[in-house]
Amino acid sequence: MSVTVLRKYLRDNRRGFLGWALSITAVAAMYSSMWPVMGGNSGLAGAIDSFPEALREAFHLQDYGTAAGYFGSTVYGLLVPILLAVFAVSAGARAIAGDEEAGTLELVLAHPVGRVRLAVSRWLAVLSAILLAGAVLLVVELAIRVPAGFTALSTANLAAMTFQLVLFGCCFASIAFGIGAWTGRRTYATVGGAYLTVVSYLGDSFLPQIKGLHWSQYLSPFHWYLGGEPLVNGIRWSHCALLAGVGLIFAAIGIRGFNRRDIAQGGARD
Amino acid sequence: MTDLAIEATGLVKRYGNARTGRTALAGLDLAVERGQVFGFLGPNGAGKTTTIRLLLDLLRPTAGSLRVLGVDPRDSPKTRGRVGYLAGDFRIDGRQTGHEALTYLGDLRGGVPAARITELAERLDLDLGRRIGTLSKGNRQKIGVVQAFMHRPELLILDEPTSGLDPFLQQRFVELVQEADGNGQTVFMSSHVLSEVQRTCRRVGIIRDGELVTVADVEKLRRSAHRTIEITFASEIDTAVFDRLPGLQNVTVTGTPDGGRVLRAILTGSPDTLVKTAARFEVTGLLAEEPELEEIFFTFYGHGSHTNGTKGPAS
Repeated sequence: MSVTVLRKYLRDNRRGFLGWALSITAVAAMYSSMWPVMGGNSGLAGAIDSFPEALREAFHLQDYGTAAGYFGSTVYGLLVPILLAVFAVSAGARAIAGDEEAGTLELVLAHPVGRVRLAVSRWLAVLSAILLAGAVLLVVELAIRVPAGFTALSTANLAAMTFQLVLFGCCFASIAFGIGAWTGRRTYATVGGAYLTVVSYLGDSFLPQIKGLHWSQYLSPFHWYLGGEPLVNGIRWSHCALLAGVGLIFAAIGIRGFNRRDIAQGGARD
Repeated sequence: MTDLAIEATGLVKRYGNARTGRTALAGLDLAVERGQVFGFLGPNGAGKTTTIRLLLDLLRPTAGSLRVLGVDPRDSPKTRGRVGYLAGDFRIDGRQTGHEALTYLGDLRGGVPAARITELAERLDLDLGRRIGTLSKGNRQKIGVVQAFMHRPELLILDEPTSGLDPFLQQRFVELVQEADGNGQTVFMSSHVLSEVQRTCRRVGIIRDGELVTVADVEKLRRSAHRTIEITFASEIDTAVFDRLPGLQNVTVTGTPDGGRVLRAILTGSPDTLVKTAARFEVTGLLAEEPELEEIFFTFYGHGSHTNGTKGPAS
């Protein structure tokens, strides 16, 4: 690992990384501040409770009346993890493949930096950016916890939820990073990452509603992230291990491939 | 410790799979001594860039062995700390200033004194405070020149370094290469601009269809070449004297309106005997056309296509 490479990568991408962190936090804060109006004892919660159970399960709408239920289905249930996954996949795809296709990777590789060292440093830089987004999100959620009246969620459980969210983001970033490092193609990395995100969401929400496919959720990173209800139960270490393990496997295989293949010339040559 | 800066033996590089693949290098043998300024000439697609990307470990050889500064590039990323690389279409992230970029690249090499960066930037008339994205292509290339030379590397690998540069920068660039030569640094420069090779390199290798066609001294090449001579005399001369001179061919003598004579001929080798012979008469004009490396170069290609015509790359 090279601190120089990691720091430079964060610095070069600081605008994008900060922009994503703030956008995701803004969406989460918006949803959270609607809790007094939408959740709790409001009529909406009652109406949703009368939806068919399968529908409620598919959209994570169980227990809409409790803070944990509301936050699990809205703030942490759909938009925030999807936004984070989009950020993670695009950042992961750019770290090697994007730079290679732009033709700017070979300059760094012509310097005394080994390929594995470069790849590991950039991978860690992307993970740091996701951690940063999670940290900003957590700080803001904790700050509005009292004013927005969701003190029913403990600080520890909010932190646990955010921790698993960060791992979820790191998992998808590593998947896209690994595909990009292996192939050198940003499109493959982005499409592959996006495809797995969608499949993983469907595998946790809709597929289990089909008779005989209930098991599909146990294979879904979405389930590993949210299924253990960290807002109620705190950190689920087995789920964390699965998220981290899948990410590590993709990153490791990708870096191994990157170390063995030819580097593309990239860009339009004249 | 070997005295070769670059040593390639039977270097083969194939791209793609066996069916759709393309052979870029078909067994290249190359030796560049330390301290040499070596020109690597050949037309586009001959395998120059492939060779250079192999030297930098951006590509991995299909077969054959390669040593750069005594080690296999694959085994030792550290060796690249003693190498400077510049591509003709130098590309770098435009979101940073020249200063940030060069400091970073210097740090990757373990640090380069800021004074050295400033000195080079001033010589090239480069503004380091501007974002690279706002610079013209020529100015961006200057960043590339600075990063290749700033750490005074033992070996400079330059891939068509002056393509697209204005004459001012080309001149500065030639000076930098000559300076590196004076410091005993090795320079390996690919080019199809022959005049820049002529001004900087002492030895050239000519590559064609992925194989080295010849290696020769630039001076020797130039000396063995034919040059056109035209001498104007004030009065009549003895043509037979010139006819007998060795190395002089196609001698023609014509008259001038004022009673003088003009001798035209093709000279091979040293002009010494011709000058001494001409000195017997009153010479009013002398014109010797410097042989262009270009002509020599194409002589080799013409020759090469005769002997090597069937060994082109499998496309």
